[in-house]
Amino acid sequence: MLEGLVSQESLSLNSMDMSVLERLKWVQQQQQQLQQVVSQSSNNSPELLQILQFHGSNNDELLQSSFSQFQMLGSGFGPNYNMGFGPPHEAMDECISRTSSCHMEPVDTIEVLLKTGEENRAIALKNKRKPEVKTRGEEKTEKKIKIEAETESSMKGRLNMRNTEASSDTSKETSKGASEIQKLDYIHVRARRGQATDRHSLAERARREKISKKMKYLQDIVPGCNKVTGKAGMLDEIINYVQCLQRQVEFLSMKLAVLNPELELAVEDVSVKQFQAYFTNVVASKQTIMVDVPLFPLDQQGSLDLSAINPNQTTSIEAPSASWETQSQSLYNTSSLGFQY
Amino acid sequence: MERQIINKKKRVFSLEPNKNPSAVFTRKYTSHLVPALKKLNMNKNSSKQTVKHEVDMALALSAQEFAWSRFLLQKLSSSTNPTTTTSSSDGIRILERSDKEGGNKEGEIEEKLRELQKLLPGGEEMNVEEMLSEIGNYIKCLELQTIALKSIVQDST
Repeated sequence: MLEGLVSQESLSLNSMDMSVLERLKWVQQQQQQLQQVVSQSSNNSPELLQILQFHGSNNDELLQSSFSQFQMLGSGFGPNYNMGFGPPHEAMDECISRTSSCHMEPVDTIEVLLKTGEENRAIALKNKRKPEVKTRGEEKTEKKIKIEAETESSMKGRLNMRNTEASSDTSKETSKGASEIQKLDYIHVRARRGQATDRHSLAERARREKISKKMKYLQDIVPGCNKVTGKAGMLDEIINYVQCLQRQVEFLSMKLAVLNPELELAVEDVSVKQFQAYFTNVVASKQTIMVDVPLFPLDQQGSLDLSAINPNQTTSIEAPSASWETQSQSLYNTSSLGFQY
Repeated sequence: MERQIINKKKRVFSLEPNKNPSAVFTRKYTSHLVPALKKLNMNKNSSKQTVKHEVDMALALSAQEFAWSRFLLQKLSSSTNPTTTTSSSDGIRILERSDKEGGNKEGEIEEKLRELQKLLPGGEEMNVEEMLSEIGNYIKCLELQTIALKSIVQDST
């Protein structure tokens, strides 16, 4: 994948000024070497593992680690170039020294080679393109992970912040980044190629992403939402589902009202009801009161409850009533082996 | 949470009774609802309105960490005749509206979000983001509520 990035860069370079072209090609070669070195090291990745651990994330997901690796690569170039021409901020320096500590050997060569401001600017420009040239699919996961990383440690957040700095040119953005580094929890959005990088559209984009994240969560909750695509369809399904649930509750409460005089409720039976409530989900038939209401995804939840019941649940089981025996006795017997004291 | 041992009862201890949130909710819900039903029973006044009231009250009391439960409580305490949460005519209205609107995409989505807001207690006072997350846990609580009600009803039949 890195080779692909480099080749794309070379294509983009051909459109630049001839006067700078030679220098850039030479720099690009250096970068290639660097990338090869870094990719080799990242394959073994003892240093990168250190960095990952250092960031205090306990996340073992492969995606996240690979994503962090890309962050490393992006940031490995970014702050060093910023040091070249921007006034170094103290906070940034601190971050830079921490994160680039492992990169010092290969990156030093680049620093030594790049003296002129022109080169730095050109490379910053290239640097901006390179992270954006990353596969689109990764961008989406990046954003997702970035948004989730809001709540993680601030170190990681600083790293993300630097990525957004690398992707936007203006010094205003960098100063905004420096001040935001102080906050623990902030929103970072990567500006895609050709999209506006002003504050309003960034904020708008962040807001839209939050909303779509919530819609995805709702999609998981509401059964049958996966088949429908598009916001409108999903919202339809959700509305439908909520209405169904509310109607069910109404119906059940009416039924309860009818039966209420006949109920033999005792306060001790409350626990019995609780216990039944857990099992009803598992034992109950697939028929539901409303014909078209799909069975809740609580099927899984029910089984989760069942598995969680062993250490976590508490009930005191009374001498079972007759009706209870018929329904859940068999199930209870199987699971009671773990319960008895 | 220990209970008294009586003869043939088997006692189940829980190490962390409050860890599983759906269990917490169900426990709270039934512990609110069942005594309330008992009281209703004793008073011989169980019209369906008051049972619904108790049901909603139990829901609101068991989910107090959410915004919509506060709104629900307000509604319940302010009115003796609780507003029915939905009626079948609402569904028909939605369908009609979407047919009429044709290709106006943004408008459709807005309409639907507004419908959703109406379903959620207090939804109209929230902004869209908040509402979406509240809808998520409202749905969960409704599901748990139906399970609890089902088990109560089944026990008596």
